[in-house]
Amino acid sequence: MVKLEDLKEEARRLLKEGKVKYIIAYERNPLDGRAVPAFLRKPEDADRIAWDPTCVHNLVRFLVDEKRRKAKEKNPDTRPVGVVVKGCDSRALVILLQEKFIERKDVHILGLSCEKTGVADERKLAKRLKGKKAVRVEFGPEDNFTVTTQDGAVTVPAAEVLAGRCLECIANFPVVSDLLLGEKTKRTVANAFASVEPLESLPPEEKWKFWQEQFRKCIRCYACRSVCPMCYCDECVADTINFAVTADTPAEEKAQKIKWVEKSPLDSENIFYHLVRAIHLAGRCIDCGECERACPVNIPLRQLNKKMEKEAKVLFGYEVGFDPDKPALISCFRDEDPQDFIR
Amino acid sequence: MPANVYLPQLARIISVKDEVGGLRPIRTFRTEFLDGGFEHRCGQCAMISVFGQGESMISISSSPLVKDYLQFSILKTGRVTTALHDLEPGCIIGLRGPYGNGFPVEEWKGKNILFAGGGIGLAPIWSVLQTALLRRSEFGELTLIYGARTSPDIVFKEELVELRTQIPVHLSIDVAEPDWKEFVGFVAANVADKKPKPDNTMAITCGPPIMIKTVIKALKDLQFGDEQIYTTVENKMKCGIGKCGRCNIGRHYVCKDGPVYSWAELKNLPQEY
Amino acid sequence: MDKILPKKDFPLWLKNLSAYALYAPRLVDEAWSYEFVTDPARVSLDYPLTVVPAKKIIFPQRESYFEFSQDDANGYRLAETLPEENPVVIFGVRPCEGRALTLTDKVFGGEFEDLYYWKRRRAVTLVGLACGTPPSPNCFCLSVDGSPHSREGLDILLTDLGDKYYVEAFTSKGEDLLAKGGAVFAVPLPEDKKAADKIQADSENKLARRLENIKDVPLKLKGMFDSSFWDEESLSCIRCGICTYLCPTCHCFDINDEVESATPLRGRRVRTWDTCQFPDFTMHSSGHNPRPEKSSRLRQRINHKFQYFQEVWQNWQCTGCGRCITLCPVGIDIVKVVEKVRDHAS
Repeated sequence: MVKLEDLKEEARRLLKEGKVKYIIAYERNPLDGRAVPAFLRKPEDADRIAWDPTCVHNLVRFLVDEKRRKAKEKNPDTRPVGVVVKGCDSRALVILLQEKFIERKDVHILGLSCEKTGVADERKLAKRLKGKKAVRVEFGPEDNFTVTTQDGAVTVPAAEVLAGRCLECIANFPVVSDLLLGEKTKRTVANAFASVEPLESLPPEEKWKFWQEQFRKCIRCYACRSVCPMCYCDECVADTINFAVTADTPAEEKAQKIKWVEKSPLDSENIFYHLVRAIHLAGRCIDCGECERACPVNIPLRQLNKKMEKEAKVLFGYEVGFDPDKPALISCFRDEDPQDFIR
Repeated sequence: MPANVYLPQLARIISVKDEVGGLRPIRTFRTEFLDGGFEHRCGQCAMISVFGQGESMISISSSPLVKDYLQFSILKTGRVTTALHDLEPGCIIGLRGPYGNGFPVEEWKGKNILFAGGGIGLAPIWSVLQTALLRRSEFGELTLIYGARTSPDIVFKEELVELRTQIPVHLSIDVAEPDWKEFVGFVAANVADKKPKPDNTMAITCGPPIMIKTVIKALKDLQFGDEQIYTTVENKMKCGIGKCGRCNIGRHYVCKDGPVYSWAELKNLPQEY
Repeated sequence: MDKILPKKDFPLWLKNLSAYALYAPRLVDEAWSYEFVTDPARVSLDYPLTVVPAKKIIFPQRESYFEFSQDDANGYRLAETLPEENPVVIFGVRPCEGRALTLTDKVFGGEFEDLYYWKRRRAVTLVGLACGTPPSPNCFCLSVDGSPHSREGLDILLTDLGDKYYVEAFTSKGEDLLAKGGAVFAVPLPEDKKAADKIQADSENKLARRLENIKDVPLKLKGMFDSSFWDEESLSCIRCGICTYLCPTCHCFDINDEVESATPLRGRRVRTWDTCQFPDFTMHSSGHNPRPEKSSRLRQRINHKFQYFQEVWQNWQCTGCGRCITLCPVGIDIVKVVEKVRDHAS
């Protein structure tokens, strides 16, 4: 079991000794018991740290903000930023390191093992509680969650309410860290791509119909892109403006920015947006599942990304986000790579 | 006001004049409506459409007293203005407006007017200046202080030569050039150097934000009161009528409640422009 | 005009409304949504709160303004594409959403009347549903001058009495809709009225969230414009559009030309929802951005709702539906933010 006190202690020490600029962690929203991102600056802030099955967020996302902020500062504080990561989150960090978006020295990684469980899917939990409101969710004994509602605490087998991403997790403890809390328990996942199989088995026209209906719901709030640590581009095909523009950018360059995707939520534009995102995440998505969780209209985005992950695995034997020193999937070529799809 | 506030009226470009070349080119366009049209006040703006590219809010630089055409001086900077720069006389554009409050010119009768502009910022000033010249007897002394980065960046070059025969014109460029005989330095420095008197005088300043800020400071140093200083604000706009939500500074939508502000008003609004 | 409608007869009423396009809440992939009614028998108003508010029907996410086409060397033809004024009924509209429409009415009205909005708005009849129990744990309508049984903006208000609805129509549009139901409606008994009144009165005590003493918040916000408060509050913001797109009062939009053919030029000018939370919302073509940081964008959202709108229209631009709280991926809570503003030392 992760001892929360150990994490608080280490955070307190790091902040007290000034080893880190600040720490990105979780704290509990007292109103609904859910974890929210917390930004800790003072040693006493460490008391607020929470660790429970509602710690769904991939806090690595906030390292992107940190990098942007730092780039604008004249005399930036060069100390590392502390960040609390789960196994999946740590793999996102590996991608950012691999792509040299951030440097290892700029981050102090506080790793937590999910051991044999993971985080709860809020929708599944709500269903399981049949309308009762959870005020607190905790890691329970064995592979259970202890869920407290106004009527008291109940034990729920984690498997019943685990997030889809956790059911297919292949790294239940961080793959890179400065401190690792909890056990490096190996969880056996029979089939890490089980969730994509039902869709895979459909004939093409039914797949097409499925995705058309799903993407038709999209309201283009871009929560999926905004929540994703991998979506850090200053220039995105989905935006009207390139954010890297300055007063010296020639007018022609701005005028010639191609409008690949219109803002209109039409089938064509929605599908294009989502497919561009999926393709750009191929070999990069580590299945933290945040896009799917953030989506207000429940588009099953993990299906897309998981499928890309499977393709990378099956075609190239590539597993995403384990080794920052290994070349990225898209930037390496090996003689034995399959070529039969090139026509 | 037309029934459909988003529907532009068609207009024809009747002349295009190069003002400034180089990487930040400026051209002056004169347009006439195919039919219909609208009357504007000094300092008001219009939404110009290049169909297929979009719309851009541009201040009308011709005087309302000129009825034959509307004039716009446009810096090539983005998608729509680049498309505009590719247009020739005879091309059709869309216009809707006029938008914004405009300068309270009627309140300035009998007063001196000091114009302090920088770069393309001469355009919104120009409609007031031209109006005051056409109604010369109704106003006191008129003075123009205008600057650009370099001498080729000066707009309305021929008009300025003509203007000198009528009113005092003080030009400046940022850095010295061999043949430049006038002031060298920023517009604010030129204002401080020429020491215009605040008595019975209104000052209008338009230009890049940093110039506006420094000129206002220079004017304040010369004892101009906050209500004697007017300027225009620009923000990104889409609807032009206070609905799309992006050009606001505080409770004000610049497109509708601005773009003209006295410093007395503007200094009390959030400096978010 | 007050009536009683047995729930079992609800579909009968709907069937009599063939002259209208009907919308009602439906569960789509576990998210409630106002959807076009194809089968009146399957409509049920036993639902909590939709994800996307009813504004999507009156102020659709995409609206075509006009079509443009090049008809000779230099000529253009512009063809307005105003929405048709076919009558629409939306069922199950929560009182906070009815009130929200009275606020967007102000924005789209005035000197520059927005025909696209008003053509749809005038054609719609809103059948509200009083919130006997709060449809969301984050409801706080009472704190922003609303109530779980507010009639503002609605044409009809239904109050759930178990096996029947207490039906109140208070506009001519609402009365027309009742007239079309004919015999499905019964005359209420005095005890029905009493029951409805009690449910409505009790509902006010059931809201879990309160945002109290906010009278001075506009002034407070004005003074806090440059405060580092906004940097702290916005740290976890990921700059998505959920809070604004799903807000029943948010009305900001973009206008773009969509080209279908380059030569000869043919396309349309369209309006789409936009949001102050996207960084390109205010970014000038020069790259200058008056709101470059997420702190300034969170401040804009709060200031617009709790200061600017109050200054211009003497109303909060928030009706307390709680969607932005419930659906924020990082738990930013407008009630908590405004409470902190209220209690801020400055």
